[in-house]
Amino acid sequence: MAESWGMVIDLDKCIGCQACVVACQSENNIPINEEARFNERRAIEWIRVERYWEGEFPDAKARFIPILCQHCADAPCEPVCPVYATYHNDEGLNVQVYNRCIGTRFCANGCPYQVRFFNFWEPEWPESLKNQLNPDVTVRSRGIMEKCTFCIQRIRRTGRDAAQANGDVTDEEFQRTLNPACVNACPTQTLEFGDLLDVLTPLREGTRLPKEPKSRAGAKIKKELESEGGIGVREPGGRGYRLLEDLGTNPSVIYLRKVEPKVEQTTGHD
Amino acid sequence: MALTRRQFLGMTGGSATAAVLFAACGVPEKELLVQAPFEMPEDLVSGRDAWYATLCRQCATSEGVVIRVMEGRAKKVEGNIDYPLNQGRHSARCEAGLQALYNPDRIRGPLLRAGERGSSQFEEISWTDALGRLTFQLEELQRRRAQKSMVLITNPVGGHLGMVAERFVERFRGRFMPYESIERTNLRAAIKQVFGQDRMPDFDIERANFILSFGADFLNTWVSPVRYARGFGEFRQGDRPRGTMVHVDSRFSMTGANADDRIFVKPGMEGILALSIAHVLIKDGLADTAAAEALTGGDTLEEFAPEAIAQKIGVAAEKVSGLAHAFAGGRPAIALGGGSAAAHTNGLFNLTAIYSLNYLVGSVGQEGGIVFNPASPLDDIPSVPAVTAFGEWQELANDMRSGDVGVMMVRGADPFYGLPASLGFREASYDVPFIFSFSNFMDDTTAMADLVLPEHNYLEDWGSDSPDPGPGYELVGFQQPVVRPFFESRGEHLGTRGFADVLLAIAGELDLELDLPGETFKDILQAGALKLFELKRGSVRAGDFRAFWNGVLQRGGWWDVSARSTGPAATPPKLPQAEEPRFDPVSADRFDFHLVPFSSVGISEGQGAHLPWMQATPDPITTATWLTWVEINLKVAERLELREGDVVRLSSTRGSIDVLAYPHPGVPPDVLAIPMGQGHVAGGRYAEGRGANVLSILATLTDEKTGALAWAATRVRLEKLDRWVRLPKFENSGADLPEDDEQLVLQVTRDDT
Repeated sequence: MAESWGMVIDLDKCIGCQACVVACQSENNIPINEEARFNERRAIEWIRVERYWEGEFPDAKARFIPILCQHCADAPCEPVCPVYATYHNDEGLNVQVYNRCIGTRFCANGCPYQVRFFNFWEPEWPESLKNQLNPDVTVRSRGIMEKCTFCIQRIRRTGRDAAQANGDVTDEEFQRTLNPACVNACPTQTLEFGDLLDVLTPLREGTRLPKEPKSRAGAKIKKELESEGGIGVREPGGRGYRLLEDLGTNPSVIYLRKVEPKVEQTTGHD
Repeated sequence: MALTRRQFLGMTGGSATAAVLFAACGVPEKELLVQAPFEMPEDLVSGRDAWYATLCRQCATSEGVVIRVMEGRAKKVEGNIDYPLNQGRHSARCEAGLQALYNPDRIRGPLLRAGERGSSQFEEISWTDALGRLTFQLEELQRRRAQKSMVLITNPVGGHLGMVAERFVERFRGRFMPYESIERTNLRAAIKQVFGQDRMPDFDIERANFILSFGADFLNTWVSPVRYARGFGEFRQGDRPRGTMVHVDSRFSMTGANADDRIFVKPGMEGILALSIAHVLIKDGLADTAAAEALTGGDTLEEFAPEAIAQKIGVAAEKVSGLAHAFAGGRPAIALGGGSAAAHTNGLFNLTAIYSLNYLVGSVGQEGGIVFNPASPLDDIPSVPAVTAFGEWQELANDMRSGDVGVMMVRGADPFYGLPASLGFREASYDVPFIFSFSNFMDDTTAMADLVLPEHNYLEDWGSDSPDPGPGYELVGFQQPVVRPFFESRGEHLGTRGFADVLLAIAGELDLELDLPGETFKDILQAGALKLFELKRGSVRAGDFRAFWNGVLQRGGWWDVSARSTGPAATPPKLPQAEEPRFDPVSADRFDFHLVPFSSVGISEGQGAHLPWMQATPDPITTATWLTWVEINLKVAERLELREGDVVRLSSTRGSIDVLAYPHPGVPPDVLAIPMGQGHVAGGRYAEGRGANVLSILATLTDEKTGALAWAATRVRLEKLDRWVRLPKFENSGADLPEDDEQLVLQVTRDDT
């Protein structure tokens, strides 16, 4: 395996501002979600922010969670595709090949995270808005399944540019060009992206995490998971967890739990 | 040549040409995987891109952005990592600048009204003709010595554009009335009164330990949301212990949702709550004594004891004193306020009381507290953008009615949409002989214009900005054209032009001596840059000016992190006399709900309504899009037998609008919260005739001290109509995630350390 791209999402930082959502629409040529699309329940958002309520006024709480393709190592969407339109590549990406897709939608049925979107219509833009379309990303036609790619076009470009630059790139510049659009947009740095091979493999195999993870995102996972000295995502002390982990999908996206302080810390009374 | 089995598999898997290749060099192991032995379509990258730094002009705070340009077209907006204000971060609104640039309903060239005013019938004319007509009308005013009847309405413009606009109006001797879509008059007045500052201070959220915010939706749209959100990320999970935030509001806002605790206060009572907190701090010896002495003159504010005011403000006494203790114990702590807390008849009092709390916990001028901003290093640009309080708009409407306005020129502002309908601005405009608009899309104001002289989009134009608030040190941002004007191909006489250059051209025709350091707007900007160059300090230094200018454009601006505010330490003023809010109507009889409008994440106060991405951006709390909804308490909705999507009529004493109900558990029972920004009369295919404009039914109560509109002081009555419309929203737009009590989708760690 060359890499295993992954993401860390710190729910304690997410404010629900939708910057990631619009950044993704812009980068990936996602069709305009017209009013009718919402009413038909066919709006497309490769990354979305879900809002969950808890309690009643005056103690009601609303919490946000960004959800995108989890790029599962054991993805339920992959084996069901009769034409190998969706497969796992050797960089840990769950890839969708639009040319192969015949629109059976089996993959969307298989996905527990509801992150696959079917093009029920030919996407349409007014002529002048087409000027904005990203030439690096295919416009998907009617009858095709689509989903988050971790902005694979950026990963490819970064690899090529870095090779040409002969190492004359700062770490920050490298990370900026590598990051998916949503990660760069996020004002609170809720999302972090990187090669998580050295962290995800031990998590999948239940072995020890590396002493010094390579990426910033990996270091963050290690810090959170081992804050109580434990290893493993479900360890009580750490904040890390993976979405619906018991399904055995083995996602490459790691969430860090939202923190809820004791009431005394906010108003001094319980 | 005999084929091995392995080579055979390779051949059948690949194409004929590939097979030849394989036969020649053998088949690599990995080609036998399921994955195809060629690059996938989505892996292919073609073309070179260029990224240009400029400023985002989608909202009042101009974030530094970089624009990806390929083959002369802008493709993507990202934050500029160098720019101190936002440090690489940006908002959903910044992204949508591309849709303003390539908007299908953009005005392509000068338009002359062809039908009746407001009929939206225009014909195209040339720039020579258009400028001639505008100049002629201004000359007429000069000839009749009626220059004062020329009004230039803009958005609040800073930087060099502000300088050009102000100078033009001053030399013409007309009226300059910058229009703020959501008024911050009270905020500025409070900052001046409490801290003695003309410029907004920076809030050092990143290093704070406790944030107490009153009504300010600062993570969403208030003042400088991207900067605040960046700091908030660090405040939550950075290198320091996690900070605590408490939000006081009269509705359930996105910022409130992100607080650790929410306190709901009766509308307009925020200031009294702040005084009560001050009382607890002083009485319990938690406050800085010198500051307490200066603020109160030895008074212990006994009448604001939590027990005494609990009933009135709707917050339990123990909650108030607990909050005061947490606030004092959480230093460095920041108290900030704005939004609906400022939008009452006692808005100035509310804010002065709130911001005064910072003195009591020693946060003024401290790390993790309130950091003052220095004046701009350029002394000829406006220190802060000029703005006009609501009271002056009332005067203007009267002047329009009495025929004292001869020419109205409007740029980047939509007062016909945003001013309350009861002001009668639209009707009064029929008494204005000439209305000129510089907008490049049809908004409610431009639809009423006689002549439209469309300006460039900001991605096609020059500009500069001395942001207010700045990052705590000197900063001048520069905006450059990143693409050639989109309508350039239509020829010199049928495209768009820069607003500043048009003003300069008109000034030339009118023989107005503007005394500006250049013939064109670009010259003026360069003259400004030359001053920065001569300072020989800051982020960009170069041997010659040309290299300096390139450096400034490359990095998006010039700043000097060591040039901080050096003024005398602020001294606490005496606390203001408590005031209670007034409402319209005065009594809640038959008008049983407080109407609390808010600026929504996508379309703000209407500026983004013509951009489909902004229309389709789900509101964080309701996930609603495209239409206008009203947030109503779930229990109250059950009592009134309201479901989501039921059409309800909200009536104030000034009018009524029909909107869709959205019940949720967060909103207080006596409050209806409603987003601004829809209900445009004009605005192109994405904005026109969509939803309802809440601003149109507002009562025209003001804070008498400042003349600011009290836009949260209207009471309404709710009536259920016999209609149901599906509310377009993202929530439930796909199948739900599996429900599993064992492993929740959104997990929370209860901190019991």
